[in-house]
Amino acid sequence: MIFEVVNRELCVGAIRVTGISSSSLLMVGDTNSIQLTSLFDTPPESLIIGPFVPLTPGG
Amino acid sequence: MNRTAKVDFLKVDSAGLSSVIQIGDSTHIYALNRAIAVQRQHELFYSHEGNFNRFGIFSYALPIPSIDEPITIQSTALQPMIKVGSIDVIGISSTAILHIGNSKYIQGEARTLHIRQLETAEKNEETEIDQTAEVE
Repeated sequence: MIFEVVNRELCVGAIRVTGISSSSLLMVGDTNSIQLTSLFDTPPESLIIGPFVPLTPGG
Repeated sequence: MNRTAKVDFLKVDSAGLSSVIQIGDSTHIYALNRAIAVQRQHELFYSHEGNFNRFGIFSYALPIPSIDEPITIQSTALQPMIKVGSIDVIGISSTAILHIGNSKYIQGEARTLHIRQLETAEKNEETEIDQTAEVE
């Protein structure tokens, strides 16, 4: 595959962003490859109703 | 041909949790963030708890496509500058990247497990009764 790009004038006044989060990218420039992944899990068993026991201790 | 990025003004209020602010060119960026977010009904924090190995989300293999495809990229930069007047960001977090300049490979990975802990139903009812008693 041949991918042809012609970059002409690019001029931006102002960029205002509230937040960049969880594998996001704000880029001014050129790059070859970007691979961003984000996993968010809140399974049914993550809702624990009962006494406040600590999670498994770190090990 | 790579272009030059020109940013006159940059303001970032906060950056945290494996985030990157890169001014200038880079070749490789790899950012990883793992988080167990626990919300409890009451203010309670045990400092030594949680084990990433116990939760599948942290070891789940990512279905990332390979980047070895034979692509011929022909890029022509008629204007060698990207001009930006100002960038104003309130916060960057959890493997977020703010990059001014050129790069080659950028990789980011964020894994978050969200856990909620609530009190037992009977206890909740008791609290409700207490609250009504206070109102009366």
